[in-house]
Amino acid sequence: MTIGRDQVLHVAKLAELAVREGELDRLVEQLNRIVDYVAQLDEVPGDAPADPFLPGPPSVALRQDVPGPVPLTRPPAAFAPEFADGFFLVPRHGAMEDL
Amino acid sequence: MSWETVVGLEVHVQLSTRTKMFCACRTTFGDPPNTNVCPTCLGLPGALPVPNAQAVRLATRAALALGSSVRGRSVFARKNYFYPDLPKGYQISQFDQPLATGGRVALESPERGRIEVGITRLHLEEDAGKLVHDRFPAKTAVDLNRAGTPLAEIVSEPDMRSPGEARAYLVALRQILVYAGVSDCSMEQGSLRVDANISVRRPGDARLGTKTEVKNLNSFANVERALEAERLRQIALLEGGERVAQVTLLFNAGSGQVKPLRSKEESHDYRYFPDPDLPPLVLSPEWIADQRAELPELPDARRARLEIAFGIPAYDARVLTSEVALADYFESVAAAGVEPKAAANWVMGDVMSTYNEGGTFPVSAERLGSLIALVRDGVLSHQAAKRVYTELASSLGEEPKVVAERLGLVQVSDEGALAGWVDEVLAAHPAEVERFRGGEAKLMGFFVGQVMKRSKGKADPKAVQPVLQEKLRSG
Amino acid sequence: MSAGATAARETGARLAAADAAGLNATLHWSQELLDAEGARVDAMGRPGPLAALPIAIKDNIVTTEQPTTCGSRILEGYLSPYDATAVRRLRAAGALIACKANMDEFAMGSSTEHSAFGRVKHPIDPTRVPGGSSGGSAALVAAGVVPAALGSETGGSVRQPASFCGVVGVKPSYGRVSRYGLVAFGSSLDCISAFGRTVDEAARVLSAMSGHDPLDATTIDHPPVAAPAPLPDLKGLRIGLPREYFPADLHPGVAAALQRTEDAIRQLGAELCDVSLPHSRYAVPTYYIVAPAEAAANLARYDGVRYGPRKVGPGGDIRALYQATRGEGFGAEVRRRILVGTYVLSAGYYDAYYRKAQRVRALIADDFRRAFASGVDLLLTPTTPTPAFRAGEKTEDPVAMYLADIFVCAISLAGLPALSLPVGLTEGLPVGAQLIAPFFEDERLLAAAAALERVVAATAEVGG
Repeated sequence: MTIGRDQVLHVAKLAELAVREGELDRLVEQLNRIVDYVAQLDEVPGDAPADPFLPGPPSVALRQDVPGPVPLTRPPAAFAPEFADGFFLVPRHGAMEDL
Repeated sequence: MSWETVVGLEVHVQLSTRTKMFCACRTTFGDPPNTNVCPTCLGLPGALPVPNAQAVRLATRAALALGSSVRGRSVFARKNYFYPDLPKGYQISQFDQPLATGGRVALESPERGRIEVGITRLHLEEDAGKLVHDRFPAKTAVDLNRAGTPLAEIVSEPDMRSPGEARAYLVALRQILVYAGVSDCSMEQGSLRVDANISVRRPGDARLGTKTEVKNLNSFANVERALEAERLRQIALLEGGERVAQVTLLFNAGSGQVKPLRSKEESHDYRYFPDPDLPPLVLSPEWIADQRAELPELPDARRARLEIAFGIPAYDARVLTSEVALADYFESVAAAGVEPKAAANWVMGDVMSTYNEGGTFPVSAERLGSLIALVRDGVLSHQAAKRVYTELASSLGEEPKVVAERLGLVQVSDEGALAGWVDEVLAAHPAEVERFRGGEAKLMGFFVGQVMKRSKGKADPKAVQPVLQEKLRSG
Repeated sequence: MSAGATAARETGARLAAADAAGLNATLHWSQELLDAEGARVDAMGRPGPLAALPIAIKDNIVTTEQPTTCGSRILEGYLSPYDATAVRRLRAAGALIACKANMDEFAMGSSTEHSAFGRVKHPIDPTRVPGGSSGGSAALVAAGVVPAALGSETGGSVRQPASFCGVVGVKPSYGRVSRYGLVAFGSSLDCISAFGRTVDEAARVLSAMSGHDPLDATTIDHPPVAAPAPLPDLKGLRIGLPREYFPADLHPGVAAALQRTEDAIRQLGAELCDVSLPHSRYAVPTYYIVAPAEAAANLARYDGVRYGPRKVGPGGDIRALYQATRGEGFGAEVRRRILVGTYVLSAGYYDAYYRKAQRVRALIADDFRRAFASGVDLLLTPTTPTPAFRAGEKTEDPVAMYLADIFVCAISLAGLPALSLPVGLTEGLPVGAQLIAPFFEDERLLAAAAALERVVAATAEVGG
């Protein structure tokens, strides 16, 4: 096994995904299956080109610094799960009070 | 035993653009919450970033002004973490291929004289939104107007050895960036933000001590205060046989203390990778050369030039170049043909105090030039000129000469008028006249003073003396 | 009655029938919106190149009038406040937006069984899958509900279902169609792509929506795809057969259909030759590092703060909000891929996985470049190793599901234009042949496919 339970839980925490206790073992098994499968890239000799392949343009086109109209057909209040006085609201968080 | 302090600073400056880093929303400060937002800076499904050319230009100029080498190819990367002020769940920044590396800032250290602080790197990134904690009970409010504002992050080498040097570095850095027209660097509006890394070690120790990071530094003075507090905290720990833990601390300006921040994440694992929405940023050598050519004169160069071109003292040159506007103003006054040292004195005195209060120059450089010329030509005394200056500052468009005349401050050097006052004075003080004639030459000062008094200050003292000499001799 | 109104009414009737038959290919549509679309088209001064053509839109392409859910609970009911560039362009060309089509959640899947709103059925055999992730769009075209549809490709999600359903599916060159408004999955791979009953229909749709978009920095400043000039034959073309794409264990029906396609190509005067793409065998593992890594970041924005349904878990704080919203909002396959993507980018693993995959991706792309540089104009392969498989057959083993994309993945990694053309039936199920062109030779691809389409017997059984 390449990935253990603790590692799956650690990654789930980084990704902010709740993992139910009942599904953990199965998830560990599936992730190992996937990770072991993709590990076959190790067969590829190491003399591959150093530059990553870019499918799009070789360099980014820049935008002029000109303000545009607000392109929203409906305001944030229309799609926000919790909104008041112009603000999105979230539960107050301990660490955030410090900031 | 003594301790050596080692400080490195990470400075974020907001680039002076009209629109955000990756979308066409305005960067205006102080608008109602969530009004300068669009699909891109709200992180809506399907929205994409397109970089702002002006942000790239300004960051490039900042790098060139700091002597950094701008890379022909840099890469935007995603820095992944969750926070309610970060709409996409990642910040677009630059990681292993930043816009610029190297460079230096020269400054006057309070302890070591002139030093240079190395610049590690400068990169482009987008700002997060703003969180408001005190407005709704048990809720944190999120305003994304600031989200996506273009920032340049400037990371210094750990080259500073005291809190005072850290402050001096910030003053010098700010001056360069303002000169280069990159940012207004206003700490009040958050367009310049500082995080400090600090450690202590025994002098001569080649290894760095464990560093801590201090945040929430909202003024240059507080950077110095916070670093002083943290320096002492670390020394106390080490002298007590304890170890310094690698933590992030917040400075409380009220108490002057630093305290550890409860951690944002258990571990910082930002999983940087190149942003697939953004091809590499490629800048041609020609374009970079153009930016260098368009760079305005920077503080050090201007200081040197003012010293040489105008023959003013080094101290004056440093004060005058502390702000671009002040230096510009000085040069315009000096260009009016008056004595540069007199111009410098005026600008560093009355002009600077009004500028520091209101941020403006109520008297045009041209008028100040004419005013100084009136003093030079003996038309006004220095004291009278100061009164005229005050009057000019609150009047609109009057010429100094006109104001001086209106206030009756023009010095009289007409011999006829002077002779009248002189005659009156000599007549009133026969005893002193006798003593003068008997050889008490120092009484000349007394007579001049009396003439000035009788003329209510209008007599030109330089012109009074020959008339007095004449009358005393002939009488 | 004018064309738009008629199309709206007829399309509505077919959509209703398809829904009633249990195809489960649509997520949102209404007669009212269709009628409004018809009226809008009829009011247009000039009818436009797609006049009154009803088009189904995969539900990961944002539209302001219908919800855009990406087949996920996490976006249930989400109404986008802006339209995708592709949608704006299609509407400007006179097309009617017919419906939003069902899909694998966030386009992650090869069978459209991973939709939070139920699986899409194969129009010919309801026990089978239509392929995925654009299974709803493919099924709607195959069932004759709409003549054309938009899907999206990340690793073959249009060509593979086109092959399973027996319709034409065209993936343009990366950067040819704006991704602005396409909900991101693997940004370096994602392409809005087109389904049509014929090459011509798909090409017209592609033509109308392609071209540079200042809102997408990865689009290339190049004219839109031109509708192909019909070729009388394929004389003078050299078509390469990459031997790695014709394995010994290829499904016999697929092999037979391809054999017949090769014969047709020869009859049209083209020359066939063997080529080799040695690194294509690593395409699926490479893809399953690159795409999840990008997806893990792309899907971080679904955090319950600004839009979408919010759940708050135990503790009631912001972390509980994130974890419950995301833990409950995303389905199993999406969660797996987010975890894999997070893992391959995490400290200590980046070089072993992500960096390595980027290098192999370059090798895969280089194989194609070399093949085309050797004088080959197009490549021909099977689109899929088998015809449509049965529902439930691969849901328990993620890797088995991933291998359904074994012939389409490499092309996505290389950013090339490619299409799947129906070339026959085996045991009543469609088989697709894949044509692949060099970068930005979309027109060559479409012209050759249109010529081949005229001679190949797409609805004839090949046996095997």
